[in-house]
Amino acid sequence: MTTPTSRRTALYERHIGLAAKMVEFAGWNMPLHYPGGIIHEHLATRKTAGLFDISHMGRFIIHGRRALDFLQHVLTNNAAALKPGHAQYTIIPDPTGQALDDAYLYRFVEHEYLLVVNAANSARDYDYFQSHLSAFDQVELIDQTDSLAMLSLQGPRSKEILAKAIDTGELPEPRRNSLSTVTIDGSTVLLSRTGYTGEPLCFELFVAAQDVCRIWDLLTELGSVPVGLGARDTLRLEAGLPLYGHELGPDPEGRPIPIFSCPLAKFAVSFSSLKGSFVGRDALARQYRAYKRITFADYSLRQDLPRMVFPLALSGKSVARSGAKVFSDRDKHIGFVTSGTMVPYWIDEGQALASRLTQSKAMRPICLALLDSNLRPGQTVLVEIRDKKVPAFVVPYNLRSEAPPFARAIIYDSPVQKLN
Amino acid sequence: MIPQDLKFSKSHEWARFDKEANTVTVGLSAFAVEQLGDIVFVELPEVGQAVTAESPFGVIESVKAAVDLYAPISGEVVEINQTVAEQLDLLSSDPYGQAWMIKITPRDLAQLDTLMSPADYETFIKSPEAQH
Repeated sequence: MTTPTSRRTALYERHIGLAAKMVEFAGWNMPLHYPGGIIHEHLATRKTAGLFDISHMGRFIIHGRRALDFLQHVLTNNAAALKPGHAQYTIIPDPTGQALDDAYLYRFVEHEYLLVVNAANSARDYDYFQSHLSAFDQVELIDQTDSLAMLSLQGPRSKEILAKAIDTGELPEPRRNSLSTVTIDGSTVLLSRTGYTGEPLCFELFVAAQDVCRIWDLLTELGSVPVGLGARDTLRLEAGLPLYGHELGPDPEGRPIPIFSCPLAKFAVSFSSLKGSFVGRDALARQYRAYKRITFADYSLRQDLPRMVFPLALSGKSVARSGAKVFSDRDKHIGFVTSGTMVPYWIDEGQALASRLTQSKAMRPICLALLDSNLRPGQTVLVEIRDKKVPAFVVPYNLRSEAPPFARAIIYDSPVQKLN
Repeated sequence: MIPQDLKFSKSHEWARFDKEANTVTVGLSAFAVEQLGDIVFVELPEVGQAVTAESPFGVIESVKAAVDLYAPISGEVVEINQTVAEQLDLLSSDPYGQAWMIKITPRDLAQLDTLMSPADYETFIKSPEAQH
């Protein structure tokens, strides 16, 4: 329900005009889905291009003489490795090696960094950064959430749509995490080859809030499908990407989840000598030692990483929700579901590069679960859904993105068949 | 348009009494189906199971949430509609017909009198209480 205090993005009138179902999210009034529904929007992103208003996310500019030192201290990744024109996934750690938030750091120009954080944590992140600023002279932190809008354009057609929309400048090439600056319909747009849907072709756009409606209109005229927060969540879950409050932060029992419990952490945490000491480094180094051993099935350091996040493919049709208990096939409680839903997918045909998506679609229940770290893909576990224990497979992934332009659903044999 | 022979619960189930068969057919209102959004799963009870008025008899899941289905009347489940569990689009295309969920042999028909008429239900769904 809308409360009078909820914030609106610059695209609020567009969402209302499209008859979106609006919901309260992290203090913002946001589209959950448009009239086509979550399933339609999910499938459209996988086959054509989905356009998301993500202006509710927190956007901070960090600049000044010691900006890099400050970022190196409060973030896990090596910001010194970030050349102008590049972006990186990173985490805001606490001293115990738990995530306060996860974030993306963009360096569009030499002397300025842009950090995007989760909407739900934005105010807390800002205060936290302010409390560390005093140790770094001449660093300025500016909240640009209201003045700089943010769009995400994801999916196989995203590149051709943007190519048509751009007046001057080049698409960010050659790969993920590249950045560029372009003009679209007379407005300066910061473009990045990033996203949180698992799509191999993916872009995020930053544009002045007063210009964003024109950009939105142009991108939809060129064939982008508006997508709300509902499908944003099912897309990231299918891609196995963590969401703070589910796979990062406290677990369903309120205990901290170690950052290395999330497989993405290995790309987000740097122990480079260039980075030196930073918040949580010692705890993270212990987690990393345990992580490396676990990947070789050596569980001697498991106390530093007792549980890890695994994707599951469920049997049957019922849906596992966040908080559902997971048991081993011997009925031992081994963890919790952290995110779960039913996702739609396009059925593909043909092999490898010759494969293509058909017109046929289906649904499958999947989830991410925080489970004992000695589990391996291929094992069967039992997920408690209401009063039943539903068999599920521990899988390496539910979606693959390595053959552009399409991300492909990976379907496993029925865990029930495997059980028998 | 809501058929006039239905009664509605505050949890959005509808009930239709069939005098000849002495059964109460139960389904979910068009309003509830629309509010749930993309429905992905319906779990129905077994035939022979006893159900209690205002207690859950099944579950309906959308992409975003699971919602209990509440029995509008106490009794025994004598028939379930497996078709609706397999063809979920019936819930939006024919909520008061082919999308029926269960048939109950009622223990106390007077419980139906506590339910809302179609007109009262139409007023109810415009009230803040009905909006999730």
